[in-house]
Amino acid sequence: MKTFLRRLKQANRISYISLWILGFLYLLAILADSIAPYPYELQNREYSLAPPTKIHILKDKKLHRPFVYGIKVVNPAFKEYSQDISKVYPIKFFTKGPKRKILGFFTSQRYLFKAEGGQLFLFGTDLHGRDIFSRILYGSRVSLSIGIIGVSISFVLGLLIGGISGYFGGKTDAILMRVVEIIMMFPFFYLMLALRAAFPPNLSSIQVYFLIVIILSLIGWASLARIIRGMVLSIKEEEYILAAKSLGISNIRIITRHILPNTLSYTITALTLSIPGYILGESALSLLGLGIQEPHASWGNMLSVTIGNLRILTGAPWMLIPGFFIFITVISFNFLGDGIRNAMDPKNW
Amino acid sequence: MNRTLKIDGLEVSLKKENKRVVILREINLSIGKNESFALAGESGSGKSMTAMSIMQLLPKNISATKGEICLLGKNVLSMNEKELQNIRGTDVGMIFQEPSSYLNPLFTVGAQIEEAIKDKTISKRDRVMEILEEVELKNSVYYQYPHQLSGGMQQRIMIAISLVNSPALLIADEPTTALDVTTAYGIIELIKKMMATHGLSVMFITHDISLAASFVKRIGIMYAGRLIEISDAQNILSKPLHPYTEKLVGCLPERYTPGDKIKTIEGTVPNFHNLPTGCPFHPRCIYKKNICTIKEPTETIIEGTVVRCFRYENSYKNS
Repeated sequence: MKTFLRRLKQANRISYISLWILGFLYLLAILADSIAPYPYELQNREYSLAPPTKIHILKDKKLHRPFVYGIKVVNPAFKEYSQDISKVYPIKFFTKGPKRKILGFFTSQRYLFKAEGGQLFLFGTDLHGRDIFSRILYGSRVSLSIGIIGVSISFVLGLLIGGISGYFGGKTDAILMRVVEIIMMFPFFYLMLALRAAFPPNLSSIQVYFLIVIILSLIGWASLARIIRGMVLSIKEEEYILAAKSLGISNIRIITRHILPNTLSYTITALTLSIPGYILGESALSLLGLGIQEPHASWGNMLSVTIGNLRILTGAPWMLIPGFFIFITVISFNFLGDGIRNAMDPKNW
Repeated sequence: MNRTLKIDGLEVSLKKENKRVVILREINLSIGKNESFALAGESGSGKSMTAMSIMQLLPKNISATKGEICLLGKNVLSMNEKELQNIRGTDVGMIFQEPSSYLNPLFTVGAQIEEAIKDKTISKRDRVMEILEEVELKNSVYYQYPHQLSGGMQQRIMIAISLVNSPALLIADEPTTALDVTTAYGIIELIKKMMATHGLSVMFITHDISLAASFVKRIGIMYAGRLIEISDAQNILSKPLHPYTEKLVGCLPERYTPGDKIKTIEGTVPNFHNLPTGCPFHPRCIYKKNICTIKEPTETIIEGTVVRCFRYENSYKNS
């Protein structure tokens, strides 16, 4: 692992940085409810579409602990806000607030940071006055985990089916590969929409979450299975496979223990490079209102309000911040995948 | 008779489209308990094919079409895949020519030996340490990867893997070909030691007759998929019966006197798809008579030596 990180660093500096960015994002996702200053569903009706709150450190031209001013509603109809300089709320760390559950286990009153008494919207608020920063944190749990879970399901499927197909050959191979071709025949996006449409629209968010994971991985395994099959075809002719057979090791064990591990160098790269597809798939479904439902947050459904609404797009550009997070995540995974490919290539050592 | 391995009238053929090409014809041989037997012959004479038929690891389009292979009294040819998996590794072990490519590069030596152990009641780790000691390797190789070991050590690992379940028969398919002479000697000594301590029977496949003769009891000579002569190791060298054996022994580098021309056998081994009629050796044979080109010779037994040649049949003498 240590040598791998060193190689990754040498092979490609950007991918090394990407690894840290992703690590940071996943850490935020795990700690979402301890970091977020607001619950994801809390609506501050009077402050809808408020811009990001400015944090000040100078008061009367003197250095002051970080603080925010109060928010003054200038014109509620046009969502115009200004700072209320008369009210000063210092930002406090580990301060007390309403009770909430952390990681589903324990309840706590402590918040990592909060503007005591006032409002602190780091990335502004949405139409319902919900804090976008908190929602991005909660949404990252959906958007980031869907890639990992989806990819693991489709990789198990792809590796097993590709492995069986390549190893046994003949009729098994022919049938499995035709199935793969049928799946690959449909355009990814429309197949995804069609599969989603086959299920009732009024599912709970958790049900939808798993539905999306299953739909994405049921589509995603096909192309991987085909490549794995090709690799297995060549690996099964290796002498150590013959030796394993001569020891009376069962076929399924030969596939899982001796053949598939030898495809890992390819598989790990492909795995990293295909995670963005899942993240984008979820975002696309949520964007079209077929994915995670309000009030639950995902990066995709946070963006869905903005499409087709020019007033929001121009008047409240902070609503696009979730898109920026999608962009960062996807591009980091791509760079990381590239870096891993280079780092695993013995020619670059 | 209680034989470890008994092959009777084995015929193996290749199916290609609608044609059937016979690769091995009428192979008869038997190996007793704790006995060593060598199969010798040129490349492509069917030695490895015979070994693979015993393991039933033939390529998909090649299969045994006649005869039977009895391993410890059970016919291998009538077994299903599950039963075959049970005898492979447990009743018969196999080692190969290039040890480096027969070990999986991804796993440590220890993991690979452990994987071969079929007995679930014993401590796998202890058994691995035990067998490593038997093949005269240090315990530390347990944690090493195949590429960290030398060819000789890798072959010792192969032997350890194939003998870890104490099989009755070890098939050694040219185990020393890829090794240098001193390492090869070490491997032969190890196989001998294993025979002495475990009552193991060995089928040794080689093209080095003098190496085989140095330690096996009997040698079978193969030519174009036929076992043309089976004899005691010393007899093969001192009084070969089949004209091919005679030529082969005559070509041994040990018999070369400096200054002479290096001896070879005229002609080449015939292709399986295009075998000559009659005895497959007749185009290269100096004793050839008319009958050799028409009929295939059958087995004749002369003083314990089995030979397939018309010279020892009455019909030849009369013609």
